[in-house]
Amino acid sequence: MNIQDFIENFAAQFDDTDEALFTAETEFKALDEWSSLTALSIIAMVDDEYDVIIKGSDILNSNTIQDLFEIVENQQQ
Amino acid sequence: MSRLTINNIRIAGLSACVPSTVEDNLTLPIYKDQNEAQKVITSTGIERHHKVEVGTTASDLTVKAVEDLLSNLGWESQDVDCFAYVCTSRDYIAPQTACVLQDRLKLRSDCCVFDLPFGCSGWVYGMSIVGSLMSHGTLKRGILVAAETNTQNRNPRDTTVRPLFGDAATATALVFDPDNSHPMNFMFGVDGSGFDAVWAPYGGMRNPVTPDALEEKEVSPGVYRRGVDMVVNGMDVFGFAIKQPPRSIKELISTFSIDVETVDLLLLHQANKFIDEKIRKSIKMPPEKTPYCLEEYGNVTSASIPLTMVSRCREQLSGDDKHCIACGFGVGLAWASMEFYAGGIKVGDVIDY
Repeated sequence: MNIQDFIENFAAQFDDTDEALFTAETEFKALDEWSSLTALSIIAMVDDEYDVIIKGSDILNSNTIQDLFEIVENQQQ
Repeated sequence: MSRLTINNIRIAGLSACVPSTVEDNLTLPIYKDQNEAQKVITSTGIERHHKVEVGTTASDLTVKAVEDLLSNLGWESQDVDCFAYVCTSRDYIAPQTACVLQDRLKLRSDCCVFDLPFGCSGWVYGMSIVGSLMSHGTLKRGILVAAETNTQNRNPRDTTVRPLFGDAATATALVFDPDNSHPMNFMFGVDGSGFDAVWAPYGGMRNPVTPDALEEKEVSPGVYRRGVDMVVNGMDVFGFAIKQPPRSIKELISTFSIDVETVDLLLLHQANKFIDEKIRKSIKMPPEKTPYCLEEYGNVTSASIPLTMVSRCREQLSGDDKHCIACGFGVGLAWASMEFYAGGIKVGDVIDY
């Protein structure tokens, strides 16, 4: 797994947010566009791309995209 | 792996009743504007749902659905040997609602009646239970009700559930038929560690009703609930729903050596379009074989598969035998998949309460 791809996949779930705003340090739940529906898109993306089902608590406990990346990476192993 | 095959049972009739009051998601007062509402509609596929008036119960809808079923089949209520009521919105804590319905529907006093408190997986589980009982051959005619008033045990100020759930009652008539050459095949699944993914925390014996459990509280911004209201933890349900149902249907297909090409209908619990489309694509079922009624009725939990059959498949199910796969999944967490053939069924119109 590579963080750059993860950030790109993550950003693809948003419609109205500038791509430049997405970095490993982005606190994604603070983004204006973030909603419970975006959360579902992220769960689906992680399932499609990484074959991992993350839980609601994984999202609630992550602040940055890097945090979530690490959770997915750990579950893949 | 828990699997079950039932012989000599076929579906003879289907009926459905929904409340006449319709709530359109686009104009719900819980959104700041129509743009926000439209986003929810686009991602869930749910445009509206039917809602009972306060005081109308799932059993009230059921009486109309069963009366319609009996009249379409030309059956008398006295002909019914077995009656199962799949519902969690029971009339009273005690007794079982099926007993109350025996008298209201004038079923025989020796009729085998019982409640089955399942949620979204309930129609498939109910088919396995009623079908098994009847397959012994002495109970010849059975009715499986799947009914729910989801709008009454969820908080109207809970934005996470109000646009999604609706009310409905359905009745499925089963007959013992030794000439029926098609078995019904089932696979089951459960994960009780997810009991709190969809649940009502207060009102049972673990957490009895207290004055505090009846206080409405803001549990997250814009989301209000009482302790006795249903909680749907959307993210956990979603993670479950995109994983287990596809796996369960694939198990069904491999266990019973089903040629997917020959399947005419994939009947999914109507959770939301996003989830159901992921399930459909996971087994490569074409869209034209996967009917939906959630846009009109929302998620009606255990009633959603039979309501889809009544409202969207009437013509198909009245004709020659159709090869069907059904999958119900949700609260429990529990799920079940089923292969069956359906044809020559007396399917009523969806009637209004």
